[in-house]
Amino acid sequence: MHRRSLVAAAAAAMLLAAGCTTTGTATTPQQDAAGPAELLFWNTGSDEQAAAMQVAADRYKELHPDVTIKVQAIAWDDGRAKVLTAATSRSGPDIVSGGLSWGIELGELGGMIDLNRYDVTAARQQTRPELWSSITSPGGAVYGIPMDMTLYVFYYRPDLLQRAGLGGPPTTWAELFTAVDRLKASGVPTPLVEEWGTFEWLPWFNYLKQAGGSLYSPDCTEVTIASDAAVTATTAWADQYRRYGVPKATVDVGAGLAKGEYAMAIGASYLAGGFDSGHPELKGKWQTAPLPTGPAGAGSFVGGKIVGAMSYTKYPQAAADFVKWLYTDEAVEILQREVFTRGGELYISPRPELLAKANASDNLKQTLQATLGTVTGPPNCKGWETSGAEVSKRLQAVVNDGADPRAALTEAAQIMRDNLG
Amino acid sequence: MTAVLTEPPLTNGRTASRRRARLRRAVPGYLMLLPFAGLFLGFLIWPLLNALYFAFTDFNGVRPPSWVGTENFRRLWLDDPRFRKALVNSLIYVALAVTLTTAAALTLALAFRGTSWRDRVMRTIFFLPSVTSTIAVMLIWRWIFSGERFGLANTVLSWFGAEPVSWLSTPRWTIPLLVLMAVWGGCGYGMVIFVSGLNAIPEELYEAARLDGAGGWQQFRYVTLPQLRPVTTYVVITGLIGAFQVFEAVYIVFRAVSSVGGVQDGGLMLVPYLYDMGFTKFQLGYASAIAWTLFLIIFVISMIQLRVTRALREL
Repeated sequence: MHRRSLVAAAAAAMLLAAGCTTTGTATTPQQDAAGPAELLFWNTGSDEQAAAMQVAADRYKELHPDVTIKVQAIAWDDGRAKVLTAATSRSGPDIVSGGLSWGIELGELGGMIDLNRYDVTAARQQTRPELWSSITSPGGAVYGIPMDMTLYVFYYRPDLLQRAGLGGPPTTWAELFTAVDRLKASGVPTPLVEEWGTFEWLPWFNYLKQAGGSLYSPDCTEVTIASDAAVTATTAWADQYRRYGVPKATVDVGAGLAKGEYAMAIGASYLAGGFDSGHPELKGKWQTAPLPTGPAGAGSFVGGKIVGAMSYTKYPQAAADFVKWLYTDEAVEILQREVFTRGGELYISPRPELLAKANASDNLKQTLQATLGTVTGPPNCKGWETSGAEVSKRLQAVVNDGADPRAALTEAAQIMRDNLG
Repeated sequence: MTAVLTEPPLTNGRTASRRRARLRRAVPGYLMLLPFAGLFLGFLIWPLLNALYFAFTDFNGVRPPSWVGTENFRRLWLDDPRFRKALVNSLIYVALAVTLTTAAALTLALAFRGTSWRDRVMRTIFFLPSVTSTIAVMLIWRWIFSGERFGLANTVLSWFGAEPVSWLSTPRWTIPLLVLMAVWGGCGYGMVIFVSGLNAIPEELYEAARLDGAGGWQQFRYVTLPQLRPVTTYVVITGLIGAFQVFEAVYIVFRAVSSVGGVQDGGLMLVPYLYDMGFTKFQLGYASAIAWTLFLIIFVISMIQLRVTRALREL
């Protein structure tokens, strides 16, 4: 019996030792020299977007016969977890695209290559500075360069506004809330809806910028969220839910606008592509404008995707070359055409001068052009990715529990400071 | 023991021969067990031990883990308000979901325990949620409780002139909705177990009870319930384990309104919190500590449940 116990203990110890061998540090021989390369690209987004990217990848192969790129779609819902798993197991895609903050996050963990080693100067010069700064880590590393952009757009039904006695889209917060009251009085059940991060920090961030506030100091050494400007922004943001009946859950903007249940929507630029195809009755009935301004003027969040190479790829040079090629006129043209043809979506390149060639109405192009001049990307400061959801919960308490905005922001600041540490 | 004493002592040769024969008989059995054992070791024991090791490390999934001793557990148990929120939410949810599911399952089993067509059809209907795709079911719940006017719950409210309710983004509704989903989805499975338990109770016990003048309620109280105790224990413990591990309902239904855990963490439970720390915040060491804490909680509660049941049996 004693011997049996010893054997069992030894077996358990061996298993435990074996179980402790995962280190995630296995080295992968990398081949920087030119030569045949087969690359796997995980494109976060829809199958249609992946198919559009495959067309670009096939064109790249025509230009670079040694490089074959296979594009696969991964869903937004579990994309980050999948990419992390790939980084952990050091197997999977060579190239990934994903949220703007994924690059810094995964890169700082050691999962992605710093593309500065492969000279991304041209891309930096072509991208809007505020977008570039949000993908550059505080130490200067660039783990993924912007692949496309998503902007906030103000959508509205001119006929419903006119019926309510409004001459045009609201241009300030005061006009916005007046419009909500008038539209409600004219019989529109839900005059204003929010889309894209509906009850999270994203829509609040627009108010923050329009009130002149910020999350961190430019050098990421201080948390600046608990400012007077932020209190003003939070009060206005909370009022839209508490006093003006903006739904707190995500809604179907196209369906609501088509039925006349909604008259105004603050949402992402990608929505525009689906209105006419998803709701033919809406065709010609909707317009866009930049978001209403606040006490400090215009401002909104810009999101989108980054594209970069995984740290374990055997072909870092080939991967980086393809990533940089996506900035060329030809690549952007292919993606603008294919993304629209396959999914009816608007592809906004990080090169703003190419916006004129996008598949969009003149009104939408003007709105996007005007918006681009006032956008700010997500913060590149350490710990923001961890803090974002916690900040949202403090903001939600202002709406749901009537918490004091300054107290809520002070709590949020403490969380951000702890994570900045 | 007696047999050993009465048998004549074996010579070394005979002992070895018997051992060889026993081994020959056992080898095919062990060989057939090997595939299962391999899978068991590879997909259960190995990950469990890995998780145990990671629970004592700081591990982001990419860089090598660094040993931090019991720091993760100290932080989890003493310093983490989100864990406390997840634990309290889980305990409330488990208590309500398990109690109501068990009661509903027993009620259904008593109502549809027979062999008639009606009972069979009803049992099938109530069992259907157990074999339906969880994701599909959760997406339907999400539509039912959509905050928009076309959400089923809000449509029903509108018939009575009520304003639409933001079901999913109002924290006080989160746990009740989760409990409702759990009872709807789980009572059919419990019902089937209870039906088999009910049908195994000897009819003589009821006859004896009737001869003693026991009415319907007394038969249920003094015959059915005591006889169902092992089945009830099984239903409660498996229900309890399942309820502690709730994930899809929180993740899929409330994802429409907020990040993991729902608005203001109204639906944050232990497994969603584990997922959040591991796969959205990349703190795999900490997530492993949560996983082992969850195991300990379920283990202790199950042991208490078994002990209480045994004590009741001895009364």
